[in-house]
Amino acid sequence: MALKRAAEDSMAFPSPSKRPRRSGDRDDYIDVEEEYMSDPAADAALVPRGATINFSALTRKLAEAQRSVNVDGEESSLDVHRRQQDSLVSHIFMDQDFSWLHLKPDHASRPLWISPEDGHIILEAFSPIAEQAQDFLVAISEPVSRPAFVHEYKLTSYSLYAAVSVGLQTEDIIEVLNRLSKVPVPESIINFIRERTLSYGKVKLVLKHNKYFVESSHPDTLQLLLKDKLIREARVVSQQTDNSIRAATFTTSKAPVKGNLIIPGTKEAEKKKDESASSRAPGAPGTASADSDLFTSIVGVDGDDIEEDDDNVHAFEIDDAKIDDVKKRCNELEYPMLEEYDFRNDTINANLDIDLKPATVIRPYQETSLSKMFGNGRARSGIIVLPCGAGKTLVGITAACTIKKSCLVLCTSSVSVMQWKQQFMQWSNVTDRQIAVFTADQKERFAGESGIVVSTYSMVANTHNRSHESKKMMEFLTSREWGFILLDEVHVVPAAMFRRVVTTIKAHSKLGLTATLVREDDKIADLNYMIGPKLYEANWMDLAAKGHIANVQCAEVWCPMTPEFYREYLREQSRKRMLLYCMNPKKFQACQFLIKFHEARGDKIIVFSDNVFALEAYAKKLGKPYIHGGTGQVERMRVLQWFQHDSNVNTIFLSKVGDTSIDLPEATCLIQISSHFGSRRQEAQRLGRILRAKRRNDEGFNAFFYSLVSKDTQEMFYSTKRQQFLIDQGYAFKVITHLDGLEDLEDLVYRTKDEQIELISSVLLANESEADLGTDIRASEGDLAGTITSKDFGVGRFPGAQRTTGSLTALSGAQHMSYVEQNKSANKRLARDAAPRHKLFSKRDKDKATARKEARTSGRP
Amino acid sequence: MRAIKGILLTCDSAVKQILLAMNEKEPFIIEDVDEYHLVIKADEEYRVRRELEAELEKNTYSLEANQ
Repeated sequence: MALKRAAEDSMAFPSPSKRPRRSGDRDDYIDVEEEYMSDPAADAALVPRGATINFSALTRKLAEAQRSVNVDGEESSLDVHRRQQDSLVSHIFMDQDFSWLHLKPDHASRPLWISPEDGHIILEAFSPIAEQAQDFLVAISEPVSRPAFVHEYKLTSYSLYAAVSVGLQTEDIIEVLNRLSKVPVPESIINFIRERTLSYGKVKLVLKHNKYFVESSHPDTLQLLLKDKLIREARVVSQQTDNSIRAATFTTSKAPVKGNLIIPGTKEAEKKKDESASSRAPGAPGTASADSDLFTSIVGVDGDDIEEDDDNVHAFEIDDAKIDDVKKRCNELEYPMLEEYDFRNDTINANLDIDLKPATVIRPYQETSLSKMFGNGRARSGIIVLPCGAGKTLVGITAACTIKKSCLVLCTSSVSVMQWKQQFMQWSNVTDRQIAVFTADQKERFAGESGIVVSTYSMVANTHNRSHESKKMMEFLTSREWGFILLDEVHVVPAAMFRRVVTTIKAHSKLGLTATLVREDDKIADLNYMIGPKLYEANWMDLAAKGHIANVQCAEVWCPMTPEFYREYLREQSRKRMLLYCMNPKKFQACQFLIKFHEARGDKIIVFSDNVFALEAYAKKLGKPYIHGGTGQVERMRVLQWFQHDSNVNTIFLSKVGDTSIDLPEATCLIQISSHFGSRRQEAQRLGRILRAKRRNDEGFNAFFYSLVSKDTQEMFYSTKRQQFLIDQGYAFKVITHLDGLEDLEDLVYRTKDEQIELISSVLLANESEADLGTDIRASEGDLAGTITSKDFGVGRFPGAQRTTGSLTALSGAQHMSYVEQNKSANKRLARDAAPRHKLFSKRDKDKATARKEARTSGRP
Repeated sequence: MRAIKGILLTCDSAVKQILLAMNEKEPFIIEDVDEYHLVIKADEEYRVRRELEAELEKNTYSLEANQ
């Protein structure tokens, strides 16, 4: 230090001219001579910034060294060794050096590590108690990434909010974290948890006897809220004349207990669960028994309500009209209100007499997700995240059957409206009269006091241009009170539309369902506030391991661009670039090879292409049937039927229409040749097409998911981006750079250079508009923009007339011109092949139809 | 007699196409040997390598850049 200052001084001497400016205006008149004699304080001010920082760092280091010297005497040689090692490596990690966090002596048996800075939690998924730890982490934090061995979770305000909403208490969260963590939970994290859980979830908004109550088990919180002017004004004071804000004036009642509420369809599962819970004492040494106790009380399905049992809750009433203001105000005060619905004590709204059919059994994870919702005997609002094909619909239906009140279901398109209705009929004993549909074409009402209405977001949120009928229907919807509102595919709904839906419809509880809670714009956080916290998110890998969804092998196939295509690709700056990398002849070949390979294995293959031009080119070249928006209804049904039932048709080509609306459980292999840029949601949706494969429970069954990517193009970038969501769910993408045996394929397409050049000229001739994605689909009225669920494709799209000059002789064929169509659609051939059915079969068909009819009529009471 | 110092580049066909495209903007190729080989001016080598690197990097997705 002394040395440093000396150096500073000597540096200061030659440049006295700078001094007056630095030492402030006051000293301007002091001459240079005097300044040399200035006191050390002034001198210190002269030390440049860099030097001061060095100085403090130095003292810290010295102090550290001294401390370690002091401690060294008591520590074992191992510790000293370790410390030395730490100091050797710690510089590598720069500001992410956490070697100062000391491991607990028995850290090996604890599965967690918590980052003190950003609240990320790293979990060893191979630990013997990982499963319980996962249950706990899912409750308090958001899963970031869950591959096979090491999982990453993140503590966020919203996740803690959700944890409190399912009934976890602050101290319990910290306690369990501490038990599981390899290092003592960092102070910063403890503070974060305290801070967040202090206010979140302490206040509840309850609709009771059709009056809104603000409810809390902490009277002081209510008092705090009442100090706010806006909230005080919104309060409705009943009977009591004493207006002072004291705990005594709150209506006090016994807290609700889960009691005998049983979610239908779970009785069997419940019993099993109890058995397994008692037998799953983990084998972790030391903390094992204590841990398992804690888990069953905190994480356990039935444990949610324990701490509330003997508490009294306090409440005050709020004016209906001011409810929005109060909600908003509470958010600003950082006391967001939880919304719960005490549906069993609701005597005003008529019950809806529906139940799951006796044969319906729900799966364990569906039960877990529902138990989060009905944890304390009331219905909480929130979002449940389950993978495609894992039975989201059934979760929704079971929830509706549990609440047993009037229910409004909102989905994204008119097609899914019909699917929901059909699913309701299939799984529950709801009658035709109780369920109604509200779309552009159908405006029904249910008969009786209560019932179910299925509609789309845009039908309900639409504010202008309503027909008389839909206006009446809307009046019907807004005039009544709904027990339950089910929101399908919540991640796609624009925030503004959502707000309109939520404010116009009076509902006691809301449940959002989705498979992919990701958006390319980061608007997910809005949902937290508008619907509620994420109640449950399933682990894809877990479900796959248990056989609820298929095991999928994912692969990315790199197809090199041929020099000719790549040259054009580099030249082209427009959208046609995309056409060039889709139509890459090597991709054609890879596609052909994979189709051939998997057909030989007995797989049923779907090939996806967003680009219709490429779709047609591929399908025609490879002689396979295809479906896109322009395909007529009859032809489409025929192609789908062939694919499902004929062992000779094992491959179909689908455009975007296949992303969601066409359900083909036969498919076991997916090949993707062109896709919608970097959309992670589309990738997940497409994977969802094979997750529910019929054969998923066969021994050693694997479904396959291939993405064909042209090397050295933009597609590589998009492809990696698209995969991120699935990678976070634990899927591993293999990269295939070379397909073995591709060259030996007999009838390999575009083998010669001439053919390739012919292909490129056809691509270059194509219109720029051909490069557009998903042009074949027209949304029908009532569909959300961007949802590809419409089955009502643009009918009657005639190609525009073309004018060419030509001599009359040529046009009449006198110049020996003849035309042969080389590329024929395989769809047409199928149509021709379709011979009339044999008499024997047609008779059987007729019998079947009549039997079905009879069953339907007898099934109805 | 004029002599130019050249370097023989071995590359795959895609990279060769990129180099040809770059050559159109600012010539540096002396001889186009075959599908996988090019002779380029020796003193341009560093620039060419750098630009090629940048070009190839465009197609790579990295998590950091998007967070």
